[in-house]
Amino acid sequence: MENKLHKVIPIQPVPYSRSRQAGESQTVLDHIVNDFPDNPAAMQYFYDLFQKVYCLGEDVPHEGLLVGTTCIQAPEELIYAFGATPMRLCNGSYHYDQRGGDFMPAKSCSLVKATLGMLSSDNIIPKIGKPDLIVNPTTCDQKKKSSAMIEGLGYAVFDLEFPNTKESEASREYWQRSVREFAVRLRELTGRKLTRKNLKDAIRKISRAQVAFRKLHNFRRISPSLILGKDAFLVTNAYFFDNIERWTEAVEKLNEELAQRELDGFKAVQSKAPRVLFTGSPPIFPNLKLPLLIEESGGVVVADETCSSNRMLYDMTAVDEWRVNDMVDSLADKYLKPCSCPIFTRNEDRRRRLLDLVKEFKADGVVYQAFAGCQVYEMEYRSVAEEFNRAGIPMLYIETDYSPDDKGQMSTRIEAFLESLKNKKKRQA
Amino acid sequence: MTRSKTPGKTRLQGGRDAVNQVDFNRFRFWFQLVAFVLFVYGGYLAIDLGTHLPFFSCGYNKEGRAGVCYLLPLQHQLGRPLAMLFTAAGLAILTGFLLFALWFIVLNKGWCGFVCPLGTIQDWITALRRSLGVRYSKYTQGQFKQLTKIKYILLALMILIPLGVGGGIFSRDMSPPFCLICPARMILPIFTGDFSQFTVDFSSMTALVMTVFGMAVTGLFLVGSFVKKRFFCFFCPMSALHYLISKPALLKLKKDGDKCTRCGDCYRVCDMEIKEIADDVKTVDIMTDDCTLCLKCVASCPEPGALKATFCGIPIFEATEAGFIKRMSKGCHDGK
Repeated sequence: MENKLHKVIPIQPVPYSRSRQAGESQTVLDHIVNDFPDNPAAMQYFYDLFQKVYCLGEDVPHEGLLVGTTCIQAPEELIYAFGATPMRLCNGSYHYDQRGGDFMPAKSCSLVKATLGMLSSDNIIPKIGKPDLIVNPTTCDQKKKSSAMIEGLGYAVFDLEFPNTKESEASREYWQRSVREFAVRLRELTGRKLTRKNLKDAIRKISRAQVAFRKLHNFRRISPSLILGKDAFLVTNAYFFDNIERWTEAVEKLNEELAQRELDGFKAVQSKAPRVLFTGSPPIFPNLKLPLLIEESGGVVVADETCSSNRMLYDMTAVDEWRVNDMVDSLADKYLKPCSCPIFTRNEDRRRRLLDLVKEFKADGVVYQAFAGCQVYEMEYRSVAEEFNRAGIPMLYIETDYSPDDKGQMSTRIEAFLESLKNKKKRQA
Repeated sequence: MTRSKTPGKTRLQGGRDAVNQVDFNRFRFWFQLVAFVLFVYGGYLAIDLGTHLPFFSCGYNKEGRAGVCYLLPLQHQLGRPLAMLFTAAGLAILTGFLLFALWFIVLNKGWCGFVCPLGTIQDWITALRRSLGVRYSKYTQGQFKQLTKIKYILLALMILIPLGVGGGIFSRDMSPPFCLICPARMILPIFTGDFSQFTVDFSSMTALVMTVFGMAVTGLFLVGSFVKKRFFCFFCPMSALHYLISKPALLKLKKDGDKCTRCGDCYRVCDMEIKEIADDVKTVDIMTDDCTLCLKCVASCPEPGALKATFCGIPIFEATEAGFIKRMSKGCHDGK
């Protein structure tokens, strides 16, 4: 006799697009798209991209082997040169942040937890598939310690050894050796050879993307702004996983539109809108909480100093002799010398870069985001604050994480900060 | 982002942009070639620019030279009997030095990077190595710090030995001491078909030692500049002398540290491995004693206005984003 219990209707798995995880992305994306006037038409490409990848969970295609990177220090040119595709794994989703809580102490960085949470799930979003290798540069402690955990999840991990200081020649040479070892590992992985031609092609590919980024970056100098910071962050976030050529073309198209906007004297914000420089822990979709709060309160993010945007794409490679050896060393230099990551012993370059950005982009104030548990940013706060104090530039320091709980109090603080910037502007006028 | 309104200004700006976006390596190659031909073969066209030139337009290239390197007459003058130094002849040394300084201040060390025939030959040897696909070598920072002093020692010897010769302490066969060991003395005359410098002088023990030593240095020069960019410039006493009088020079290399991101692109391309060019964000007059003012650093700087060459305070070649991108993407296509 067949048991009737067998006939119980099994729980249907909910399609991804109706999951809470997709809902988190959809809410943010809808907010970005619908709650601000005059979005550039060329942004539609990026809105659609995020809709497909984050909200509908569609596949993210790639060519050749897939190499996941957990940091901007992984030289992407090398990965492309070996015919593989780099994909940045740093994740911004609260869903994965909670999931990653199993791996790390409660008070640790949301970004690292979210990345671990993503890698531990069966259905990785963005749906990039299983990386053939994950390269984890040994930067901050939390990333360092996640190497073994990622390996424990069944991935192949390469620890790209990164120095703690960057001033000395010894650390430069050490890093150049690390990068060469990474090239050897990629050769073993892909079975290809690093040739002059494919490395040159890879450098060209990335430098074209960087040129497009720099152009976009330069448009943001103009006051009143031609484009909002939330769109700029979305553009650079797309660089994490999008096909690089398609991404570059989309940015070039956006640049054309901004050039037209400049000619037309278009204003994306009110003339008096406080101009904000964003620094600290990186905003990664869907965690664009802070930039969005700034812009819905009437401010505009005109530039940033974060590793999800400016620091990732700004600095370009110079090569003297276009030979494999010199190109590899040049790449190594590019990934070390200009880097203003807080993991280094000194942060002079970061402070100088921030001051220069404030000046060049005519920023009225600075918002410093530190993820709770991101010790290096928390610890650098003091020296950065002192520097800005001396220069008479107002700064708002916000400690936060991926959870939406603190949105209310954050919005109060941001509104007050922007108000004070406006008053200061008025007094000076 | 600001655009100039007046057409005159626009034209000036257009000219500046054209200069700043120039294919710098090609420009420098042709400039050096023309200078080389002028100073190695100019003599055939009866060009004579005097004997106070601040670079190695070697006097031993008797037929072709268009002027003489100042180090040759300087050592001769210092080698006269000591008593003569305190007569009118001493005055001649001073006026000679003044003429040399006048030549020098025009281009500063730019004479090294753009004009010096021995420097140009080293760049050609570098190009040969590059086309053979051989890797260059570098000094460690420790080696750099030690070796960089040698040029001052050579400069001191170059002055003291002739004085010693004049005072009767050293043999006449040691004069002019630096020329005897300078690779330019042997190499530059070759270009006009004169191989006579490739001889060992057996007339005395001192002459024998000096000429053999000279040959050894020339051999070292050829091997050294094959593996190391601008190998000889690092030890050049002329370069040391330049630096000592470089303050009033008209051509200057300037750095705006506020605009510098310390990306190291300039250091990357520097033939002389000068780390300060990237790391020093305080010094404005950034030319160091090893610099040859080749301006490759300016051409490879992506930060607008961070590095620039000025002449009498007027910027003549400036780092720009557009120039950097243009030169780099050309390099990505057909760079060597």
